[in-house]
Amino acid sequence: MRDEQTGSWWQQITGEAIQGPLKDQKLVAVDTDEVSFGIWKRENPEGRVLSPDEKTLADDMYESADWESKVGRMPVKVDAKMDNALEPRTLIVGIVVADTAKAYPFSSIEKQNPIIDTVGGQDIVIFLGEDKRSVRAFNRNLAGRKLEFLRTPGSSSVIMDAETGSTWDFSGLAVNGELAGKQLSKIAALKDYWFDWKTYHPETRLYALGPK
Amino acid sequence: MFNYKTAWLALLLIAAAVAAVVITPAWLIQPFAPQSQNSIQLSYFLKSWSPFATWIAAIVSAGLAVYIWSNSKKWLGKIILILPLIIVAVFTWFARQNHFEWMFNPLAQAAYAKVPYASFVNDDDMVLAVNINGEAVAYPVRQMAYHHIVQDVVGGMPITATY
Repeated sequence: MRDEQTGSWWQQITGEAIQGPLKDQKLVAVDTDEVSFGIWKRENPEGRVLSPDEKTLADDMYESADWESKVGRMPVKVDAKMDNALEPRTLIVGIVVADTAKAYPFSSIEKQNPIIDTVGGQDIVIFLGEDKRSVRAFNRNLAGRKLEFLRTPGSSSVIMDAETGSTWDFSGLAVNGELAGKQLSKIAALKDYWFDWKTYHPETRLYALGPK
Repeated sequence: MFNYKTAWLALLLIAAAVAAVVITPAWLIQPFAPQSQNSIQLSYFLKSWSPFATWIAAIVSAGLAVYIWSNSKKWLGKIILILPLIIVAVFTWFARQNHFEWMFNPLAQAAYAKVPYASFVNDDDMVLAVNINGEAVAYPVRQMAYHHIVQDVVGGMPITATY
């Protein structure tokens, strides 16, 4: 990216200026969420949505609905340093806590939802949305209690905690049971390709699917 | 000693140098390939200086061309003169183009719709979303994958959304 005011070049993923007068300055990252529109609008009925540009729409220049899977098939040129733990364009979800980076292959999240883990000393839980595409991570310590999460037996998407049996929705809110109304705090999670994540986090750890 | 031959040689060298200065950053920073710190630094340097350097080169080339033209006895020499001049002219123009951003299509006038009117997004389309000071905004990925950068102010905070 380039800014109009100084012409400096900015690295998109880190928000850091890498060349030009603002070199080594860093933009502050805003918490973002990458979810499907159905989930987002249910949670934000008052929100606003970027409208398509009339001309771009008329020229049919916007990406198609299956854009993600098309990009997934594009070739990648990577540095030789890249290890072969995963195919470069494997979709992962990356989390950084206290300078420790960890990548969770999307396929593991699909299989195991929810995933409970500890990154950089922080106990976390990863939820997969009912759309099977959206992913969120939360701190699973609630008021001094460390919670373990699992899929409610007989359900493919309802999540409960083992301690109280309360059920939780994708926004990290307990909707039923003893903890109803309690909210887990969110942890930044970035959906990315393995090659890209590995480039910016060379020391990243990789989540290995558990026995179940 | 400056003569007809050295003028020709100088003109050809300038044309080659101008081409190299302008092509190098475009080639180093090509899409879908990784770059090193050094190649980015070199590209930034060349890209910053090439508009100025190509002007100088263009003026010097014009001077050399006038000299060669007036000292050339053969028509062929005068006609071939056009080639290096075209090269210098094309790259002088190209050095002023923001070619790195030709792939991107910034949205000049971003417009927004409230959720009930956002029929242009399907429920299973992905969005990039922020919530700042209670204001929630969604940027549909299919649009962001085309525009790449959108400037906005959310909850009083100026932000740039990028994909």
